[in-house]
Amino acid sequence: MTFNPLHERGIPLDKQLRNWRELDVAPVDPDHSDPYTRCRIIAMNGIEVEAIMFSHQLARHCPSVELKQQLARVRYIEAQQQKAVNWLLPGLASVLETTIAYEQVAVDLTAWVARMEPDPYLKRAYQFGVLEDFDHLYRYANLYELIEHRKAEKIVDGLTEVMPGRPTYLHHRDPVDNVREPYDKSAAAPISKLHALTIMAAEQQTMNFYMNVGPTYMEPIARRLYQEIGLIEEEHVTHYESLVDPGETWWEMLLNHEYNECYLYHSFMETESDPKVKAIWELHLNMELEHLRLAAELFKKHDGRDPEQVLAPELPAPVTFEPNKAYLRELIATEIDYTTIGTGYVQDAHERFEKMQEAIMGGEPLPSEQVITDNRDKSGQEYRLETEGPHPVPSLRTDR
Amino acid sequence: MTQDPPVPETMAEDDVIELLLRQHALIRDLFDQVEQASAEERPEAFTRLVRMLAVHETAEEETVHPYARKKIDGGDGVVDDRLAEENQAKQLLEDLDKNGPDAPDFLERLLLLRAAVTAHARSEERYEFTQLRAQTTAAERRALAAGVKAAEAMAPTHPHPGIESATKNVLVGTPVAMMDRIRDVVHRAMDQHNG
Repeated sequence: MTFNPLHERGIPLDKQLRNWRELDVAPVDPDHSDPYTRCRIIAMNGIEVEAIMFSHQLARHCPSVELKQQLARVRYIEAQQQKAVNWLLPGLASVLETTIAYEQVAVDLTAWVARMEPDPYLKRAYQFGVLEDFDHLYRYANLYELIEHRKAEKIVDGLTEVMPGRPTYLHHRDPVDNVREPYDKSAAAPISKLHALTIMAAEQQTMNFYMNVGPTYMEPIARRLYQEIGLIEEEHVTHYESLVDPGETWWEMLLNHEYNECYLYHSFMETESDPKVKAIWELHLNMELEHLRLAAELFKKHDGRDPEQVLAPELPAPVTFEPNKAYLRELIATEIDYTTIGTGYVQDAHERFEKMQEAIMGGEPLPSEQVITDNRDKSGQEYRLETEGPHPVPSLRTDR
Repeated sequence: MTQDPPVPETMAEDDVIELLLRQHALIRDLFDQVEQASAEERPEAFTRLVRMLAVHETAEEETVHPYARKKIDGGDGVVDDRLAEENQAKQLLEDLDKNGPDAPDFLERLLLLRAAVTAHARSEERYEFTQLRAQTTAAERRALAAGVKAAEAMAPTHPHPGIESATKNVLVGTPVAMMDRIRDVVHRAMDQHNG
């Protein structure tokens, strides 16, 4: 069944405001809910946060009071959507449990996007990045066992493996090498634009989350690990945001944002296992259809173009959270020892990379290595969840 | 794939907060085991859970709560809130225990208990333990650990030679009856450690 959001009717904007009772959503059960429901919540929160912040930026560049007022009306509704979505997360979960879920999102969402991306240069960017989030999951899982005495398999539920990816210490690159080439807005497939926006928003939310929750820890190793990985998330935002064509006009960017929200709410509605959460995706899709219609009006008026020229004729296949174990193992086996140079990739540790590494390490063990050593000392062994056999890289096996 | 939970009586943890955090993790796993158990295995899994809860809550009441009351800022309020949560959980536990794991609404009630116990544990971790760790020395926390360990030794999660007889006399009857006897054990252990 084809679904073209430009041809669907949504809920009129003046009927979208919710009262406090309606915003007071029941959180999902931390011990019994589908881990991928939690992943969809976290991913969608990132999308809504990006929608809000993008609209604020646009408003700050917008000279017309009338236009600012319209942006403000839609943005307030987006802010309510963000609350309804993110408040589905249970207060019972610890910050570290939510963190592990954030990394599960980063792994399985980026892997899915990498699999679906038609453009080889963009695909490479996702394949490169996903191996780093994969490693972060392993580091946080060890922190979890170390300080909460629990195993991350209770959170990821065996859907995502937990083992080393590209080791975290190798993620500290010279910032210059984090910038990629953008896609060309006139040549790129519509799905490529949606992918870039989605992963950029997800990584940005992860960066924001770590930079804010990191200092709430007392344990020195936890404080330090959040600092280290938080900085890498900044590198990831740089990496993914540079994929987006900066030549898109503000109204085109707004249009893409609203279209992407329709795409993701529709995707999640189609794939959601929890009926209560599914009802929220459906409601929000119906709100977004109206936001898209309003953005399309602005685009037509200010850019003088037809939205159909820049958007997909129908929604692409739904973004799906599903295990990517074999795909990730293959990437680990082939991509693990790459780093970036300029806007490309190399296998050698080049001079600029070495210089950055030397400057930031300061000759001391770094938190992402320390957490493994500490947990090994305390729990007898480091934490891994290798469901599909030994690690694909022999030197990264526990019996090495 | 899932490994056996750590056996608490063999844990070499000397810090009372570490010990209690470990028990929180273990209790959550024991809930999983009761939920996932077959009808035949369920009574035994449930007994393990009841004993662990009795041991854990009593040990907290006799060690960290009184200490937190004195030591931390707003300690009275924080501890009163925790005791109110514990009492609510105890009531649910008593009801569940009285009707037994064969009762038709067992799993439904177990979920209620689990929610109460998990929320209580998380509140302790956030509002009580964080402050307590900041306001106590390692030696103080070690002294408190003695009481928790003594209680814990009575709640084996696996058969453990040597403590069966002690368990037999203490961990019988209703959860409340168990708790009263555990209380004595904790007191004796603390006196011994301090004297």
